[in-house]
Amino acid sequence: MNDINWGLIGPLLALQLLLAVIGLISLAKAEQVRGPRWMWVLFLVFGNLLGSIAYFTLGRRDL
Amino acid sequence: MRKLWTLYRRELLEAVRSYRLIWVPVVFIILGIMQPLVAYYMPDILAASSNAPAALLESYELPGAATVMAQALGQYGTIGMLVLALAAMNSLAGERHSGTAELLMAKPLSPVSIVAAKWAAHLTVLLLAVGLGTAGAAYYTALLMGHLSWSAVAAASLLYALWLLCAVSLTLFFSAWLRGPAAAALALLLAAGMSLVQSLLPAQTGWLPAALPGLSAAVLAGGAAEAGPVICALLLIIACITGASLQTGRHKLPN
Repeated sequence: MNDINWGLIGPLLALQLLLAVIGLISLAKAEQVRGPRWMWVLFLVFGNLLGSIAYFTLGRRDL
Repeated sequence: MRKLWTLYRRELLEAVRSYRLIWVPVVFIILGIMQPLVAYYMPDILAASSNAPAALLESYELPGAATVMAQALGQYGTIGMLVLALAAMNSLAGERHSGTAELLMAKPLSPVSIVAAKWAAHLTVLLLAVGLGTAGAAYYTALLMGHLSWSAVAAASLLYALWLLCAVSLTLFFSAWLRGPAAAALALLLAAGMSLVQSLLPAQTGWLPAALPGLSAAVLAGGAAEAGPVICALLLIIACITGASLQTGRHKLPN
């Protein structure tokens, strides 16, 4: 596993990061969210793809 | 027509404000490129994550390009459909609860144009997501697994997009009556039920829209498409828009 091909994996990681950043921006701007904000921060930062999907579909009140 | 265009622009702006126009396509691209990557790195993943027997690792064969591409589209049938239904569930239900629906209906707008504009905005998000997602998946698959027929990929992704559009239209239809989450749940259950019936009785139910994913995989493998499920899906979508418009029209205040 030492020879990770970053050219292949890189775009995937960049997209995951992009999703988390969009989620955090949206969370910062949202007036109301379901549940505590810190929980959604944890979801977005550590929850990978499913955490971000959960925030965007369930966390936002104004879809 | 001009009113419809204005309403469509309003819906698209709403999709941008709720970040739906960005996050849904990004999720689809991630799902799409993950599949070929996981298939390619499967021996490494198995070796790193468990004590898999060496014989299993030795015997692992890299799946063919068409297979991996069909698997990537299969991701859209599960997680992708869930995401689309959840993203669409509040578009009519939310306006009814916030009172925007009455406000809209007080204007000289036909219910059909309101529903059609919402549907068209969801279609835009869907096409963007499936288009970018399959492009990413096809790029990685061609890079890692080998040659793919680009016209087959385009046809297969369009067939899959039509199946997803059925689920989105059903969600929109139910959200004219029910609260958002209930509408999404009902639409997903109906889609899952259709898929189940179709897989149990493939010979009798080849015309169901649920046959579209199978058709899409067949096209990828070099087969030909059938018209039955496509026509049936289009009829279902038209019925959904009509039904949702009729129900939305009832919110018109009596003059």
